[in-house]
Amino acid sequence: MSGGNVSREPLIMRILVRPAAYRHRKVWGVACVAAGLWLLVLGFILCYFAFWWGSALIAVGALELWVAYRLLVAPLPQRVRELERSRAHLVDDSAARLRQIERDLHDGAQAQMVAVTMKLGLALKKLGGMVDGTGQTDLDRVLELVAAAHRGAKEAVAELRDLARGIHPPALDQGLGTALTSLAARSDVPVELVLDLPERPSAAIETIAYFCAAELLANVGKHSGARQAALRAVHVPGLLRVQVSDDGVGGAQVEARGGLAGLAERVKTVDGRLRVSSPPGGPTVVIVELPPRA
Amino acid sequence: MRVVIAEDSAVVRAGLAEILADSGHQVAAAVGNADDLLAAVDEHQPDAVVVDVRMPPGYTDEGLRAAVAIRRDHPGTGVLVFSQYIETRYTADLLGAASAGGAAGVGYLLKDRVADVEEFIEALARVAAGGTALDPEVVTQLLGASRRDDRLGSLTSRERDVLALMAEGRSNTAIAGILVVSERSVEKHVGNIFSKLGLAPSDADSRRVLAVLRYLQS
Repeated sequence: MSGGNVSREPLIMRILVRPAAYRHRKVWGVACVAAGLWLLVLGFILCYFAFWWGSALIAVGALELWVAYRLLVAPLPQRVRELERSRAHLVDDSAARLRQIERDLHDGAQAQMVAVTMKLGLALKKLGGMVDGTGQTDLDRVLELVAAAHRGAKEAVAELRDLARGIHPPALDQGLGTALTSLAARSDVPVELVLDLPERPSAAIETIAYFCAAELLANVGKHSGARQAALRAVHVPGLLRVQVSDDGVGGAQVEARGGLAGLAERVKTVDGRLRVSSPPGGPTVVIVELPPRA
Repeated sequence: MRVVIAEDSAVVRAGLAEILADSGHQVAAAVGNADDLLAAVDEHQPDAVVVDVRMPPGYTDEGLRAAVAIRRDHPGTGVLVFSQYIETRYTADLLGAASAGGAAGVGYLLKDRVADVEEFIEALARVAAGGTALDPEVVTQLLGASRRDDRLGSLTSRERDVLALMAEGRSNTAIAGILVVSERSVEKHVGNIFSKLGLAPSDADSRRVLAVLRYLQS
C-alpha cells in the first residue's frame, strides 16, 4: 500500500507515529492491533487489582487500536479514489495510444505505400505501352518511376519498423537491461549507462520502465541541450529505480497535460512515482520508482 | 479534364498529380485541406475533384462534408472521394447528395484502386461526365447489408454479379467484357434485375445505379 499523504494525518498521529511507519502501513498496523489488544486484556485484568493503573493500560490499548485504524482502514476511501482516477487515466491513455498508432499508420506507411503503388502503376502502364507498341519508348522515365517507388517502399519499411518498435520494442523480450542498452545506444546525446538488475521485474513494469526511459531520453535530446546524459536502472529491495539525468539547461517541470505529467500518471497506475529535480541552469534528474511486480 | 486534388498527405498528393498529368489531364490545384478545396473549386470550376475523407484540422470527415457541399453548389463538378477506408455511412451521405443534385457525378474509391492507373482515370472521367464510380468494396458492403431482403435474395448469382458491376458504375458493354458474355445477355440480366426488384428500366447509367443503390440502402 502506498504512503498516502502523511501531512493530512491528525496531529496526534504525527506525534505518535514516525513517518517511516507510513511506508510499511500493514506491518505497523498489524503490530498496533496486536499490541492494542494485549494492552486491553492486561488492562481489564489489572483493573481488578489496581483500577486506575488498569484504566491507564486500557486507554493506551485503545490509543494503539485507533492508531492501527488510522494506518490500516482510514486510508482506504482515499485509496479507492486514487485507484479510480488512475484506472480512468489508464483507459484514456490506451485509447489515445491506439488512436495515435492508427494515425501514424494512416499518415505514414499507408500513405507512403499508396504513393508507391501509384508510381508502380504508372511505370506498369508505360512499360505495357512500350511492349505492345502503343506508347512511346521512354525507359528513363520508367526507371525514374521505379526508383521513386523503391525509395518510397524503403521509407515505408523504416516507418513500419519504428512504429512496431514504438508499440513493443522487441529487445524488451530479452529483458529490461538489453532494451535499455539498445535505447541508450540509439540516443543522440551520449548516455552513460548503469544497470543493476539482478532479477527481472514483471512484464508490465518492464514496459513502463522502458517507455519512461525512452521518453525521458527523448526529452533530453529535444529540450535540454545537454552534452552528456546518464541512465541508471537499479533494483533495490522492493523497488525498481530508473533515473535519467543530464547536464543540460534544466527548468523541466511537471505541467498539466505535459509529457512529464503523462509519464507521472502512467507510473501512478502501478503505484509508482516520478520525481523531478531540474533547477534553472540544470542539472536535470528525473527518478522513476516502480514496484517490481504489478 | 480539369481536376482539383484535395489530399493532406504530400506524397499521395504529388503521386495523384503525377498520374493525372501523365494521362494528359490538367491539375488546376492540389490542396491539403477542405477549406482550400472549396476555395479552389470556386476559383477554378473544375470538371472533377479528387478528395480525401480525412483532412486537417479534425482528421474526421472534413473531406466528405466538402464533397457533399461541392455536389450541392457546383452541379457541373464530379466528386471522387478517395479514402483508406470504406464507410457505409459515407456512401449514404454521398449518394444522398448526388440524388439531391439531380444527377450522379459521384464516386467513392479506396486509395488502393489507384494502383490500376487506367481504371482510376476511367473512373474519374466517368464521375466528371456525371456518372458514378463506386468501389467494389462499397458494393459488397451494401449488398451484404441488405442480404436479408427477400427480393434481393431472388436474384441468381449471375444477376448479383451484374448488379454489383452496375453499382460500381459500369456500362453494359463494360459488364459484358468483364463477365465474358455478350452484351445482349447482359441486357437480359439487367432487365431481369429491374423486374425482380420492381424498378422501371432506364437508359441513364447513373440513374439506374442510384436507383439500385437507394433500393439496397433501404
